[in-house]
Amino acid sequence: MEKQFMLGNEAIARGAFEAGVKVVAGYPGTPATEIVDHCAAYPGVYAEWSTNEKHAFEVAGGASLTNQRSLAVMKHNGTNAAADFLMHINFTGVKAGMVLISADDPGGLSSQCEEDTRVLIHNYAHVPVFDPANIQEAYEMTKAAFELSEQTEVLFALRPVMRINHAGGMITYGDKTSVERKAEFIPDRSRFVMSAVVEKEYGGELRPKMRHRWLNNKQNELKAIMETSPFNWAEEGEGEVGFIACGIGYAFLKEAEQIYGKKLPVLKISTLPLPEQKVLQFVKQYKRIVVLEEIEPVVERLIKQLCFENKIMLDVLGREGYLPAEGELSANLVLTAVESAVAGQAFPNAVPGNYIPARTRTQCSGCSHRGLLAALQAVIRKNGGIVTGDIGCHDAGTFEPMKLQATIYCMGSSIPMAYGIKAAGFDKPAYALIGDSTFFHNGLTGLASAIANGANITVIVAYNSTTAMTGFQPHPGTGRSLTIEHGNPIDPGVVAEAMGAKVYRCNPYQVEETAKVLAEAAEQEGVKVVIAEALCYLKFGREGRVSYISRDVSINTEVCNGCSLCVRTFGCPSMTISEGKAVIDKSSCNGCGVCIWVCKRGAIQ
Amino acid sequence: MKLDLVIAGVGGQGNILASQTLAKCAMDDGYNVVNTETKGAAQRGGSVLSHLRVGSQEIYSPLVPKGQADVLLGFEPLEAMRYMSLLSKQGKYIINTAPVPTILAKLKVDQYPSQDEMVTAIRHQGVEGYFIDATQAARELGDVLLTNVVMLGAFTAINDLLKPEMVLNKLLSQIKEKYHAADVKAFNTGREIISSVL
Repeated sequence: MEKQFMLGNEAIARGAFEAGVKVVAGYPGTPATEIVDHCAAYPGVYAEWSTNEKHAFEVAGGASLTNQRSLAVMKHNGTNAAADFLMHINFTGVKAGMVLISADDPGGLSSQCEEDTRVLIHNYAHVPVFDPANIQEAYEMTKAAFELSEQTEVLFALRPVMRINHAGGMITYGDKTSVERKAEFIPDRSRFVMSAVVEKEYGGELRPKMRHRWLNNKQNELKAIMETSPFNWAEEGEGEVGFIACGIGYAFLKEAEQIYGKKLPVLKISTLPLPEQKVLQFVKQYKRIVVLEEIEPVVERLIKQLCFENKIMLDVLGREGYLPAEGELSANLVLTAVESAVAGQAFPNAVPGNYIPARTRTQCSGCSHRGLLAALQAVIRKNGGIVTGDIGCHDAGTFEPMKLQATIYCMGSSIPMAYGIKAAGFDKPAYALIGDSTFFHNGLTGLASAIANGANITVIVAYNSTTAMTGFQPHPGTGRSLTIEHGNPIDPGVVAEAMGAKVYRCNPYQVEETAKVLAEAAEQEGVKVVIAEALCYLKFGREGRVSYISRDVSINTEVCNGCSLCVRTFGCPSMTISEGKAVIDKSSCNGCGVCIWVCKRGAIQ
Repeated sequence: MKLDLVIAGVGGQGNILASQTLAKCAMDDGYNVVNTETKGAAQRGGSVLSHLRVGSQEIYSPLVPKGQADVLLGFEPLEAMRYMSLLSKQGKYIINTAPVPTILAKLKVDQYPSQDEMVTAIRHQGVEGYFIDATQAARELGDVLLTNVVMLGAFTAINDLLKPEMVLNKLLSQIKEKYHAADVKAFNTGREIISSVL
């Protein structure tokens, strides 16, 4: 046993390595991203960035069926994208131990939406879930999940929240415990071929029903495992209110307990299915219990159901009707819950605080997206077009001052939404703005759909050669994988052309030319794809590679009349208005010169 | 023994280096350490808050609860103001008074508060602390990027859990040797600014 400071994601990777994981696949997404990076650093582990989470999950599935332990890594949005595979591998079961990491982001601190993937993974797919309370537990659970998955033949999931993934602490860890096994694929079509086949051995039942029954029957075995799981335990304490604390909810409760100053009776639960006997034993002692969990009332409803089935009458207070139903828990919120529940009072309504000016994210100084966004804004101002947006750094174009994209939903939705807008009869141009990594993630199929259905839209691919938002991971358009530089990028323009789109190319640092291309493309019929190609400044600028000729940009104060149009419409962090004139902060300006185009008086030179 | 520290700043101010330096020192001293950062796209101008929790007992939450921080280091005054509620009534703050305007303030969508407003709002909370112009001090030493080192030095002047020379050595061990002389000066400047008003 050794002790070392690790981040939560590092600890999860360590657990997977010790369990003998052979194949790791994921798609970058905060807060789960670094798990894959850390796994890639271990000897004997194949790790990859797949094009999307569904494919990552499928890669891991193939590996498990070939008798090698595998891990699929994603954030909650990715689990949504991978739900189709989830709803099959749950029924087939696995061969070698297989674990899904589905990281949730309560509060949506770094996400488009707030959700609880336990609902999808457990309530819907009936797959067991571990919900770690701290990073030591995240490490131990990962390791245990591989063992249990192999033992039960059921996929296991770990659902850490951001406060686990991104927390650091001292981890006690061990050595690799798993033995090497032979890579062999033994076909078992009655399991691994999910199809409406008549099963002779089961009296002519159809296979989907038979596999469903298999999964349902597994639940009792899983419940028995959770009954003796080291991740669930009861703690004695004072008072007439019992507290059931799940995952990080336990950490916040223990923190709140220290401030509260009294030892509270606690049942810590970090597994789904629930350890039902443990729960019954605990709740029978109280007339009121409080359930603390992130984010939906998953455990709370299961406990209510369990109490109903066992004819136990008590108040179950949780996310459903007592605590706030949305947003992250905190030690302070839990402390308030303890005080209110003990006093027999309602949870107090939140008092809105004073607004402190927000620090919103924007494009970096020197970012290639800013030129593209500025050009597109100028074009739609003239042609009345609408822009559907997608996920990536360019989404900051929806904020002040650009307020350009009219929609942001999920990965790849910009393209079908744009032609849906046209299908509904919108008579002005529709533009879909998507990044390169997102284009490969889930944009390609949308593009094929648009072309096949004779849509009339302009798709703009912001091709900056990296997955910038999550920390510069490679994608199929970059010519590298997670581990090797193979030098064979898939050019999205070539792909689009082969699919039948009319393809245009431009360098977004050349704003004038880009605007011309964007205006022209929209005037053509059919599906047009504009490849706006320029390297991500933040990533490649460090390596001395940029897609513009760097220049010393300055303000001619005699020409500048202080109209502030440059600041109000453009929003480069290096530009401000001071004493009635535009000012460029030389220490942060990266000399891209895009702003020169913005000033129609020619004051920026 | 415990130390709950929060460092509030803006992406690029070296908040995380400062927090990691202190975390490593505390670990070397045998303390239990838990930390985390809340950052919304920090590299793109967002706000960054580091939580560092040091203690001899078990630490449960990586986040410092409201009203529990022993020290708040504000690398930027608006960010300090944003997170003042984390500071304990018995805690202490050191706040750099040099503002970094927000994008929305530049666009006149929001108004960045005046220095007076911020100082008044912070003082109003009745907690002891220091306002220093660490950015100016760093500029005088030749590089505003030394602001975090000035703040780190200042921190060692009000805290006795971690030895100043240990913090300095740990900091130097993480940066290139050519920057060492400037960092030592900046660290000592921070200490002196606080010592001169103590």
